[in-house]
Amino acid sequence: MATASKPAAKVATNGATKKAAPPIDDEDSHGLMGASGQGYSWEEEYKRSWDVLQEDEQGSLVGAVNSIQMQMKRRRLNKDTKVVQRGIIRHLYLVIDLSRAMAELDLKPSRVECTLALAEQFVAEYFDQNPLSQLGVIITRDALAEKLTELSGNPTDHVDVIRKKANREPRGEPSLQNALDLARTSLAHVPAHASREILVLYASLTTCDPDNIIDTIDALRRNEIRVSVVGLSAEVQVCKTICKETKGTYRVVMNEGHFKELLFENIPPPPIAMAQNMSNLIKMGFPITRNFDPPTLCACHHKPIRKGYACPGCSSTICDIPTDCPVCALTLVSSPLLARSYHHLFPVDNYKEVIPGPPLPDVLATTATPLAGHCFACLQAFAPKAGASNAALVGLRSARYECGRCMNSFCWDCDVYVHEVLHSCPGCVNR
Amino acid sequence: MSCAEDINLLAVVVDTNPAAWAAAASDPDRPLDFVKIIEQLLIFINAHLSLKFDNELAIIASHADQSQFLYPLPPADPLDAADDEPSKPANVYKQFFDVDRAVVSKLKELVDDKRTKSAEHENRSMVAGSLALALSYINRIKRANENNSVQSRILILSISPDLPSQYIPTMNCIFAAQKVSTRIDVCRFSGRKYGGESVFLPQASHITAGIYLDIPEPSNLLQYLLYTFLPEPSMRKTLLLPHKDQVDFRAACFCHKNVVDVGYVCSVCLSIFCSLSKKCPTCQTVFPAPK
Ligand SMILES: [Zn+2]
Ligand SMILES: [Zn+2]
Ligand SMILES: [Zn+2]
Ligand SMILES: [Zn+2]
Ligand SMILES: [Zn+2]
Ligand SMILES: [Zn+2]
Repeated sequence: MATASKPAAKVATNGATKKAAPPIDDEDSHGLMGASGQGYSWEEEYKRSWDVLQEDEQGSLVGAVNSIQMQMKRRRLNKDTKVVQRGIIRHLYLVIDLSRAMAELDLKPSRVECTLALAEQFVAEYFDQNPLSQLGVIITRDALAEKLTELSGNPTDHVDVIRKKANREPRGEPSLQNALDLARTSLAHVPAHASREILVLYASLTTCDPDNIIDTIDALRRNEIRVSVVGLSAEVQVCKTICKETKGTYRVVMNEGHFKELLFENIPPPPIAMAQNMSNLIKMGFPITRNFDPPTLCACHHKPIRKGYACPGCSSTICDIPTDCPVCALTLVSSPLLARSYHHLFPVDNYKEVIPGPPLPDVLATTATPLAGHCFACLQAFAPKAGASNAALVGLRSARYECGRCMNSFCWDCDVYVHEVLHSCPGCVNR
Repeated sequence: MSCAEDINLLAVVVDTNPAAWAAAASDPDRPLDFVKIIEQLLIFINAHLSLKFDNELAIIASHADQSQFLYPLPPADPLDAADDEPSKPANVYKQFFDVDRAVVSKLKELVDDKRTKSAEHENRSMVAGSLALALSYINRIKRANENNSVQSRILILSISPDLPSQYIPTMNCIFAAQKVSTRIDVCRFSGRKYGGESVFLPQASHITAGIYLDIPEPSNLLQYLLYTFLPEPSMRKTLLLPHKDQVDFRAACFCHKNVVDVGYVCSVCLSIFCSLSKKCPTCQTVFPAPK
């Protein structure tokens, strides 16, 4: 955000204040002065957000606010669309710090409430995006680590334990080492083709460890476990080292929104290193649905069910998939579950922004015919070309994005929608 | 309770694949007349519009080589400013008139367009493309009415066979629809020389909690449309509606397209195979030898 808005701020201040100020070279005479020449450079960050906001002729801020929002969206959008090998089948332990440090109120309503609410959302989204993956929850407090759920593919199990009141009370010191060791031993039996990960939500600045944590890091590395940490207070050296050594990411949150953003960065499956070839062919069963008129008992939970699946390996009755058959241990999935992951493997290329040339009306007048006046997908008309009269629209981006393969134009709402939700280009699939 | 204030958005996808309709017209047992089907569809659409004044509508033609919005028309479409605009008869509701006119003229355009091109496009229909357009349009209406809740659903009138190359886009659309709880209803025609079993569409309606109906008697289409597909989603739980008992979630292997119970899945690209091999044909990954 800061880097994106820098040029805009400069332009605005040059136009507005340079004329009035005597022509002194700011850089030489006041080394500490910021680009605007009106304050110290460390204050710039706060100034900029105001400088960017320019009223248009009608005195409205709508256009300016829109363009800032658009910039933020673009930043989130321009992610890597290279086709890389990803560890689609993941095993992840979510480690939540529940020490005293979690009771602080700097995140609203409190660190612990904010974290657990986001953790719930994370679990739901994780299984939505990684249907073949598993997850487990570990908490650490009173210098101990406690495993709340074993690795499993059922989101409700995890959400239930997160919601339990006893698991929401922060107290004592956290123990990073105990938590990591517990997660590591639990991940040890995971098959080689699956990725092993630990994601730590860490509020404390200290850790209460029984032993040398460097040994734990070595063990994690040996087991090829990737550890990522989201810090809630400030950067901690030991977390930084752990993440660096295990090729994970370490980020510290600034506010609630940023917290969510950082946490959700861990939802797309991470690319796997080409060197460590853990790929394999996995035997999977595709069960058929079955209706039972007198209800029958499922083999997994021993509950009466009317609708279920029959394991193709041993014909046991299962109530829900994906799961491992409780009798013959065959992995049971369905073709839509596999399809849910395909968009990670075949992402839509980023659209290119179509920037009208500087002499805006003339250029468009000559090439007006090939450019459709509306979004290909939703029929939204593009901003009027004669937008030059509107001051807000000058600073605004063209709001027209083009697919490099089918050459159709899309509005920015559709651009966001296609890349974040739909995962297929509406133009390309119509060919 | 809140359904009184909801905006009801219906997106209709009409399969206009000429080859399939031509085959259907000459079917010995159950001939289908495209014009009659469209007439009945238009009555159904008018019924949807007349239920409430702010009911929203989109109609998309899923043609052999493209998808086209039939309604609403793109902004600044020449048709809007046509000189030979027939004047609206005094006793016709304006919106009915607009929709009927747009659909009929756009369909004519499509059919004429087809005649100019050679018959290079065979028996296929861009259902995934139409679904993508419908979902983008639904997304736009939802964004424009952020303060009201928008109830959206999609109705597909389908006659063409599945297009295997559209499997991934179709599934992506289904999941996108599921995310915003947009139901996908499917109304499927089949006879001896057309239609046939679809694998994708039953999954679409199953995953999104929509209705899948094989039309048993096409001449009574209107009745099925009005009784089954007109009630808005909030009313559906109180109605006894047809449902498909068994949905086939088995997968076809990528190597022979055989349906398999137990298969082998590449852990890198999730391709499905019916037997073990050393190398994945899809992503070229070499697998370590089994122990
Ligand atoms: Zn069960
Ligand atoms: Zn079994
Ligand atoms: Zn659009
Ligand atoms: Zn495209
Ligand atoms: Zn095969
Ligand atoms: Zn593969």
